[in-house]
Amino acid sequence: MVTFELRADVEDFLNREARLLDEHRFEDWLNLFTDDAEYIVPLREHVQGDVGPAGHPIIRDNKMMLLARIKKDQTGLSHVEIPSSMTCHLISNVIVDETQSSNEVQVSSSFIVRQARKLRDEAWWVGRRQDILRRVGDSWMISRREVNLDMTVLPRGISIFF
Amino acid sequence: MTVLSELGTIVDWEKGLVSPAIHFDDEVYREEQKLVFGRSWLVVGHEDMIRKPGDYVSNYMGEVPVVVLRDNKNQIRVLINKCSHRGNQVCLFDRGNTQSFTCSYHGWTFGLEGELLGVPMEQPFYRGELNKENWGLAELPSVANFNGLIFASFDPDAPAIEKWLGEDVSWWLENFVLASPTGGLEALPGWHRYRSPGNWKLVSENFIGDDYHVFAATHVSWLHVIREFLDQGILIPIVTYPGSPTRQVFEGSAGGGEGGPLGLGMIVLDDSIYQRDLEEAEQLGPESVEWIKERHDRLQKVLTERDSKPYSFMNGLLFPNFGLMGFFSAMLGRHFLQFHPRGTMEHEVWQWTMVEREAPQAIKELAVQRVYQGQHMAGLIAPDDVENFERMVESTRSSQVWDRPFHYGLQLGHEHEGPNSLPGNIGPNPSEFNQRQFYKFWLKQMQASRTPAGKE
Repeated sequence: MVTFELRADVEDFLNREARLLDEHRFEDWLNLFTDDAEYIVPLREHVQGDVGPAGHPIIRDNKMMLLARIKKDQTGLSHVEIPSSMTCHLISNVIVDETQSSNEVQVSSSFIVRQARKLRDEAWWVGRRQDILRRVGDSWMISRREVNLDMTVLPRGISIFF
Repeated sequence: MTVLSELGTIVDWEKGLVSPAIHFDDEVYREEQKLVFGRSWLVVGHEDMIRKPGDYVSNYMGEVPVVVLRDNKNQIRVLINKCSHRGNQVCLFDRGNTQSFTCSYHGWTFGLEGELLGVPMEQPFYRGELNKENWGLAELPSVANFNGLIFASFDPDAPAIEKWLGEDVSWWLENFVLASPTGGLEALPGWHRYRSPGNWKLVSENFIGDDYHVFAATHVSWLHVIREFLDQGILIPIVTYPGSPTRQVFEGSAGGGEGGPLGLGMIVLDDSIYQRDLEEAEQLGPESVEWIKERHDRLQKVLTERDSKPYSFMNGLLFPNFGLMGFFSAMLGRHFLQFHPRGTMEHEVWQWTMVEREAPQAIKELAVQRVYQGQHMAGLIAPDDVENFERMVESTRSSQVWDRPFHYGLQLGHEHEGPNSLPGNIGPNPSEFNQRQFYKFWLKQMQASRTPAGKE
């Protein structure tokens, strides 16, 4: 049974996780992921009738690829993050469900992320996430995150995390 | 005096000097919709995207939405996505399978050949006086299938596609881009799309030949990460940049006579990438090794008569706006990018992925992953290009700064210093020869009389 305490605990985790991203503490953020974690952003499209699913997603990262993205921006030569984007992650509509596994919960949430670049360039990213959070010792870790962006044409290249 | 009337002076491709005005001037933009997009053969998709009758994909030709479909007689058609009655869009989906398109305004319904099938309450209101045969969807008058790649043109008198492309462009497209000798390409469904700042020509000229930016500045962060990970023995998927000065890397150029030019950046003429593909294939298993050897043998047969033996290319563009990525390696999927014009300040990239049809599943999976982790809207490469275009718009949009031309002088006068046993021109890399060829042909189209292409 999902108790009030459990839901509050998960929400607190998600809010603190978002703060790490907005403060650009990317290695601390990556430490919240389990070693076998998956980070997936499916392709969103409008399809009609009898057609197959999209051939590949926008992102399907393991922890090593997430690290590669962070390392790229740490080279000091990653122009897409020079100067760094300002981001504000607003996380809402959190629903916690139990899973078959006693140490894991499934969490859905909605988000609005505003990305501000340079003087007046910006992007608004809106969508929903499906997470699997795993209890490891005293804390939660993310073992799977699926990010469904509500857009079929992205407003700019993705250089931030959701 | 307008920018349009001065094009002959301000587009000085021979000296490698081109005014930024051609990207930002509204009148130039309006005219090129007619003179460039209205008369060129434009890529609209690949036959593998529409395998069975009723299959369709949506796309654009310039700013015009079109539907590319396979009708019930297996003929590929390109219809303008605009109701013949009052101009409403009739197809709202990115791809699908259907037998008809019904307009949401008054309910006119069209079949797969564009024919007007039905009109609501036709008998009582139109009293049998509407000649439905005259009111089908407009269809592109010229459609061609070149080794699976579907082209269309607004020009009813467009030259045959073979003539537009010419022998040299056809040779490179067929053998290296579309992989015909090695069994052709298989499409992965789905448009990967993103908005990007700047006029469409900024990104087109980047793809046709700008390999200078790759390792000089724009993408060095990506190259650093690859090097750092490789040094630690970590194989993240995208590791396929050659990056060694000992390798024989050239720029390929073809066409630009009757039809638009093709540029291919970083053609590798030694077997270093083949050897690297073999090493990687060994980690995937004997089936993969067998395939890499097999496709190499088939390619060698095409090259029997040639002194130079190209293995692959990295990037390219077919004029006006069709970007090509091969990334050197058989272990990486092809990706095709269309740079759709969206005014002087923005373009939209529509990208799709293909893999070699006969490759084993293990190679296909790796090849696809490397596409979306690299030159893709969420990869480690393309977002840095988008960032550059945004900065270029910010600093160059004002007509106050258009007097000073952009510089395209790299390898000026040295463009033919390469082996000459291959179709087209093989020159040094990096170079801006292909950018100069791009603007030469663009200028020719902008200055042509209003006589449609192909007519004398």
